[in-house]
Amino acid sequence: MNETREVLLKRLEADARQVRRNVWRALRAGGSGHAGGSCSAADILAALYFHRLRVRPAEPDWPDRDRFVLSKGHANAALGPVLAQAGFIDDAVLDRFYAFESPFGMHPDIKVPGVEMCTGALGHGLAVGMGMALGARIQERAFHTFVMLGDGELHEGSNWEAAMAASHYRLANLTAIVDANRISQSGPVADLVGVEPLADKWRAFGWTVREIDGHQMGQVVDALDAVPLSADRPSAIIAHTVKGKGVSFAEDTYVWHSNTVDDEVYARALRELGTP
Amino acid sequence: MTAAVQAPADWRARSARQTRLAFGQALLEVAARDPRAVVVSADTQDLLGIRPYVERYRARFVEVGIAEQNAIGVAAGMATTGLRPYVCAYAPFITARSMEQLRNDVAYARQRVVIGAAASGISLGVAGGTHHALEDLALLRTFPGMTVIVPADVDEAYQATLATLDIDGPVYLRLGGRVDEPLVSDPEAPFRPGLAARLRPGNDVAVIACGCMVEMALRASDTLAGEGIGARVLNMHTIKPLDRDAVLAAAAETRGIVTAEEHHLAGGLGGAVAEVLAVECPTRMRMVGMPDEFAMVGPTPRLRDRYGMSAAAIASACRELLGFA
Repeated sequence: MNETREVLLKRLEADARQVRRNVWRALRAGGSGHAGGSCSAADILAALYFHRLRVRPAEPDWPDRDRFVLSKGHANAALGPVLAQAGFIDDAVLDRFYAFESPFGMHPDIKVPGVEMCTGALGHGLAVGMGMALGARIQERAFHTFVMLGDGELHEGSNWEAAMAASHYRLANLTAIVDANRISQSGPVADLVGVEPLADKWRAFGWTVREIDGHQMGQVVDALDAVPLSADRPSAIIAHTVKGKGVSFAEDTYVWHSNTVDDEVYARALRELGTP
Repeated sequence: MTAAVQAPADWRARSARQTRLAFGQALLEVAARDPRAVVVSADTQDLLGIRPYVERYRARFVEVGIAEQNAIGVAAGMATTGLRPYVCAYAPFITARSMEQLRNDVAYARQRVVIGAAASGISLGVAGGTHHALEDLALLRTFPGMTVIVPADVDEAYQATLATLDIDGPVYLRLGGRVDEPLVSDPEAPFRPGLAARLRPGNDVAVIACGCMVEMALRASDTLAGEGIGARVLNMHTIKPLDRDAVLAAAAETRGIVTAEEHHLAGGLGGAVAEVLAVECPTRMRMVGMPDEFAMVGPTPRLRDRYGMSAAAIASACRELLGFA
């Protein structure tokens, strides 16, 4: 690819804006949804699907594809738009969020092309991703597995079972991305049960850690391009993000973890996100 | 099945009389037949007798340690890549603790994972209620697409493990603990998942049993035969999908049905049979199993007697049902 870095970043930033517009579009179609965690993840998801992941939207079951598991499955309102923009699913599906018999519900479903696991019950994705990484090793396939977790999700103890075992098996083909937007359903994560110091925790579990600003596309791309961060350890990217990023009234508040979205709210959000 | 692959010559000797060990022995043949097979252990290498497998197939073995949730999640993840995982675990922990992983990652996501769940029921009698699994059948059989099998002896455990090669979906194999399980099945008869085996004829009453209770049902049937009562015995090794035809035939051809299982009376084999009969053919029933309480500590045979899971209890239930008690 002859794309210069500057052009790449501009393209991905435009992609991420489009993902956010489609998040709000889906939420309006459904009448409500998880705006906060979907928008905090949007830049990273755009960089993954439109730059880093080796996937074939026309051949979603390609055995050598990179795997992405959205362990924080409540951000499906962002995964759907990304899968549509990548060509895995039809764009019209985004207008059927929560609809009867729709493939696009609140949480990812493995039946949908491009979705690798049914997630949303928190604390499942890292173990599943570890299994995928082991599957690659056992079958001598070169694909890489990425798992996106929320920082609040790290309350679930099962994550740490997987974190401990993945480093034991030296799974350099596994990367955890923590979308650290600092806010959970009931309030700031630090006020519920603190998870800091996050980087130290992952290092203590045997992972190689890089911390980034999850909304600076240059940092996101550099981190994704740099994995594996070491040759014999799994990688953890801790992305410091803003819940609800991109729409001022939804930013940095637990109120927009999940909330009602009507035509008026949608119009206000779109005014801030602009048109393509 | 390919003729080229033979069972390990000494598998039966190595299994002693314990289904958990027969499962571990069968994994050697499973691995030889299917290169996609992998084994996941939750610190259960001796419990399931898989050290020979580990030695021979180290590259297809994953030890996750004492982490049952991780065992199921990892197995489901491997299954998505085309592997066929066999999870070796303690029944009480791999079900109660990992229930959400079993439901979401395995059943809901339709991943072909086989669970070898040893130490089920009250087989770990002296370990106490924390280590008993008396609700696993009730939990597992509610999952759409799940196959639930309770082998009665080592031959059935071995054959059932091989049969998973041809089952297109997740399987829960309920295995015993460190208690010998007498031989009751016909080793020459092919194991057919979902089809009950009729071990004794009889048209007065039918005993539908699974697992270790099959042997007790046979003894009860023998006792009753001496009293002129013909007690049919069905080995209902597959709890799900249930052999509805065998249940309905037993209901139509006898005067009542007694179920027998080492499981709480709520939701297990008796519940499954009752669900069929209540709708299709209301039939007088008695259920033998663990009453609605946690078991005390004790040697497993003593506990079975104490809680009415015995040949005598089955025979009594049959007599009572027929009005002879």
